[in-house]
Amino acid sequence: MDSVIGVPRPRTDSPEKVSGATRYAGDDVLPGLLHGWLVLSTEAHATIVSIEKEAALAVPGVVAVLTADDLPVVAEGSGRSNEPLARSEVVFSGQPIALVVAESEAAAEDGAEVVMVEYESLEPVLDLEGAMRPGAPLGRHPGEEDASGMESVHAAVGAGEQELPEEELSGNVLKRSFREEGDLEAAFETSDAVVSGRFETSWIYQSYLEPQTATAWIEPGGVLVVSASTQGAFMSRNELADLFGLPLDKVRVRAAPLGGAFGGKLMLVEPLAAGAALVLGRPVRLLLTRSEDFQASNPAPAAIFELRVGARRSGELTGLDARIVCDRGSTIEWGLEDISSTLVGGPYRWRAFAIRSYGVQTNRVTFGAYRGPGAPPAAFALESLLDELAAQLELDPIEFRLQNAVVEGDVGVSGRAFPVIGARECLERVREHPIWLERNSLPEDEGVGVAVGYWPGGNEPASAACRLDRDGRLTVVTAVADMTGTETTFAAIAAEVLGTTPENVRVVAADTASAPFAGVSGGSKITYTVGRAVERAAEQARERILYVASEELEIAPSDLEIVDGVVRAVGSPDRSLSLEEIAQKALAWGGRYEPIAGQGGVAQPSSAPAAAAHLAHVRVDHETGEVEILRYAVAQDVGRALNPALVEGQMRGGATQAIGWALYEELRYDEHGQLVTGSFLDYAIPTAERVPQIDTLIVEVPAPSGPFGAKGVGEAPVVAGPAAIANAVAAATGIRPRQLPMTAPRVWALLQEASTRTETPPA
Amino acid sequence: MNLVVNGEPRTLDVEARTLLVHALRDGLGLTGAHIGCDTSQCGACTILLDGRAVKSCTLLTVQAEGTEVTTIEGLARDGELHPVQRAFIEHHGLQCGFCTPGMILTAVDLLERHSDPDDETIRRSLRGNLCRCTGYHGIVEAIRAAAGERNGTS
Amino acid sequence: MIPAEVEYVRAGSLEDALDALADPEAKVLAGGQSLVSVLKLRLVRPRLLVDIGGLELRGVELRDGELRIGALTVWDELVEASELRRPALAAIPECAAGVGDLQVRNRGTIGGSLAHADPASDLPALTIALGASFVLRSPEGERAVPAEDFFQGPFLTALLPQELLTEIVVPPPPAGSGSAYESIEHPASGFALAGAGALVLPDGTRSVGVTGVSGHPFRLDSPDEAEAMLAGVDVFGDHFASAEYRRRLAEVTVRRALARAEQRREEDERWTA
Repeated sequence: MDSVIGVPRPRTDSPEKVSGATRYAGDDVLPGLLHGWLVLSTEAHATIVSIEKEAALAVPGVVAVLTADDLPVVAEGSGRSNEPLARSEVVFSGQPIALVVAESEAAAEDGAEVVMVEYESLEPVLDLEGAMRPGAPLGRHPGEEDASGMESVHAAVGAGEQELPEEELSGNVLKRSFREEGDLEAAFETSDAVVSGRFETSWIYQSYLEPQTATAWIEPGGVLVVSASTQGAFMSRNELADLFGLPLDKVRVRAAPLGGAFGGKLMLVEPLAAGAALVLGRPVRLLLTRSEDFQASNPAPAAIFELRVGARRSGELTGLDARIVCDRGSTIEWGLEDISSTLVGGPYRWRAFAIRSYGVQTNRVTFGAYRGPGAPPAAFALESLLDELAAQLELDPIEFRLQNAVVEGDVGVSGRAFPVIGARECLERVREHPIWLERNSLPEDEGVGVAVGYWPGGNEPASAACRLDRDGRLTVVTAVADMTGTETTFAAIAAEVLGTTPENVRVVAADTASAPFAGVSGGSKITYTVGRAVERAAEQARERILYVASEELEIAPSDLEIVDGVVRAVGSPDRSLSLEEIAQKALAWGGRYEPIAGQGGVAQPSSAPAAAAHLAHVRVDHETGEVEILRYAVAQDVGRALNPALVEGQMRGGATQAIGWALYEELRYDEHGQLVTGSFLDYAIPTAERVPQIDTLIVEVPAPSGPFGAKGVGEAPVVAGPAAIANAVAAATGIRPRQLPMTAPRVWALLQEASTRTETPPA
Repeated sequence: MNLVVNGEPRTLDVEARTLLVHALRDGLGLTGAHIGCDTSQCGACTILLDGRAVKSCTLLTVQAEGTEVTTIEGLARDGELHPVQRAFIEHHGLQCGFCTPGMILTAVDLLERHSDPDDETIRRSLRGNLCRCTGYHGIVEAIRAAAGERNGTS
Repeated sequence: MIPAEVEYVRAGSLEDALDALADPEAKVLAGGQSLVSVLKLRLVRPRLLVDIGGLELRGVELRDGELRIGALTVWDELVEASELRRPALAAIPECAAGVGDLQVRNRGTIGGSLAHADPASDLPALTIALGASFVLRSPEGERAVPAEDFFQGPFLTALLPQELLTEIVVPPPPAGSGSAYESIEHPASGFALAGAGALVLPDGTRSVGVTGVSGHPFRLDSPDEAEAMLAGVDVFGDHFASAEYRRRLAEVTVRRALARAEQRREEDERWTA
């Protein structure tokens, strides 16, 4: 039988999806369903003086107006995870303040419209650098309870981090970290070129097409059930139990089919729907409108990267000096500054480095994960400067990168050794691509850029279960929220192990009451971890199948094989039993065999970093500043492409989101902290007419412990895209964009500035 | 008010302010029309109104009096998927699937008027349908393939 | 998002519609592509919607030597209309094809769009360049208003409360004329950051309308001196595009539209020959 690994196959959920039959979190029909509508703060920083509910309660159909005091929250401390509705201090415009619950969506909206909130305004903290200065107003007034929830500025030193030098900083700096190795100044002194730059990136909205949605109800026995657009059923269950003080067995969470997530769907709406259902005892659905989702979810945060890098004429990279400031918005629970400080070194070897990073609170929305959190800005800064170094030293940009690219065992700026990584192989692939080969024979307003980036890969213990049903088909059960087609891949993995076809494997995403544990779908780890668990569960089922067959056929298990769903003797295929026959024997009344089942678990020894190199071919309209992507290619190391169609889908989707980062996307806040790009009318994501067909080059450098060598593929294809496009714009124009997105007005302004410079005679 | 939905005459009792997408989803259980935005940008709610693609979120139900509506649920004939639906499966034109019904119905309208659209025409026609997952690559290939199948050139 | 409560009446005739519009809190509903969007956001809250979608004000025809376009004609009909194939009129389908998206063009009416008078909308600039006039109907009778006088400010037109736009009349340019529409779009909304419609007559006379850069579209009196002319315009800027940038885009679109209109003159000569 041919292997099913490496064969392109449509997602198994395709027929439902093309027929409109898939039931997303907002599609379930429940008797007596109530609808929630949020009242959001119109102030970026304020104290709530009063909330008037009466007018809303008088609207026909309105059942309740819930505020923070009404929710049965037992968790203390501030921060959004403990405070689904603002208690007293509002820390961002768009923060949920009240939830109106009504018999219809229209009535709920009518009610929400007349909830009157009185505020006492406080000064909003919006300027990132300004917020850090000693004496700056604080974005959040520290309460007594915050001592436990907030990380101190002198927080514990993590892996690879070192003692912090003294600095005068305001209390808005929630976290600092410092990494240092080697003699940086000596490294710069021995360099033949040193370049530096300050790079800025914007708040970026995940833009999943399905707004955040949760439906909650109470089942007999007082079990809170939540069906939500969530990336992590178990994580949501645990956090809901903590928030409301419920035993774990009184909370059941089901991850509904996701209409896109990209890191952003975790515990924003679940607590609100659940809280309302607990209070009212009826099913409640909260479905964010797009405008609310823009204002009140958790986009990727803005960052500032100040970098200085050096290299020798030989092409050897020397020193890296970095100062990184990450906007946390109003998030106090965690920050991206740590991960940014490890990613800023790229997949390269450095003689010496010093990396300082800061997480700063401002009065903007809470931030969240978005595909490769922290990575695209880091790559944008570093890969831009690497191109400048290459130009100054007259080195080929790809050869220069190849010369310094890490291989397994090289220690990165994180202080840890890199596991197997295919950065070099990706660069070697794009080196041969027509886009690169033709880069020097283009019209004057066109250019090609290259960049490479990587994602370290997530790692979390995971498990899976399977059973052989009486029809001879295997049912695999996991708790995974399927983001990238993982269920389709699990079916192929199990089929390959078992010796059957993927059509004979069904994969079920069960809720937290019955599924084996799996963590959040995020960090590019599901295939790498749960996929391995599925493989092991299927191996166990296979052993039991062979045992039954061995007993029945009186042939040693080692002399049996499973081909096309039939167990047969190696060399004499007429002595055989089908999986269906075996299943029936193992499920028979009074039978002598255990039911065929398998349990698999995994705790991977290391993560599996994935690298990707991008090529962008752009044309820049010098009159308008508009950048058009003419051709695009991505080479990515995926370990092993279990299903090339799905892998390519991730590569193209990631590259397209990179185009959004590079050219269009930006959540802009005005001087009062109000979001001014809060709809798809103002916030541009790439449309079909703005992206080309994207060429994919699959590189396979197997991950030693991944299923069949596979590693995660979701994050890597977004990382280096903005940098490649910036390098292409530089090649086409000679200007060096230092800010994302490179909108037409910004590129035009840079072109104007450059032409003024060249027109001005030297002094 | 009266209209025909997926071939069946229907009578709906709705407020004047009820958007067609809500009437379809809440009144008729046709949840394949998705709501992805509130500014008429995303196209996830696209349906066919008298054969032409329109956004059901930008239409009052009462405006659809006397029309024929086709939703994604009504596109298959006698249990056979429409060629565009099949092409979306075969050419990996979907991931999360949230934009898919709207994409398919827009493509059906496009292929009604252009039997053999080039990539540029396809991409321009999809301007009112946002997809965040696929990068549009598979969607464009699917539509091209569906056109080819119809013209017997696939 | 759901519109606020509203009453609705479907007009069976033009007279019915005008009667219903006697209500000062009534709003005209045509295709709904502009109005329903703002109703959903509750930015407008009329008491009554008067649906004129069923009236016979649709179609493109050449009548009495004039090109007459019904106010309820949808964008897609303009894109496809055989009466508009002439290079001298090619700017009309060209402009229509760039409006909104396929779904909006299937449903949105040009009358609704013109009456909505979004300052960044495309067609107004072209109607000015082509010297079009708008037929307005009220209980008192009919009047014709030149396009350049119709648009008075952001979302503000010459329409009186109890008046309907019924027809757009375009004087056909003489043989050997050319027209074009050019715009630079906002990457999200698709609306014009700057747009220009241009008509070039056989004698070289040039007529240009500009949109997107100020409170309402306007005629550029001396198109050959676009830069100087635009320097006198109060161009607005916003967080995305500065006034300086928009002004430059306006210059670019004027230049590009004129150049393409010029190219089409010869084609029009061949077409009309």
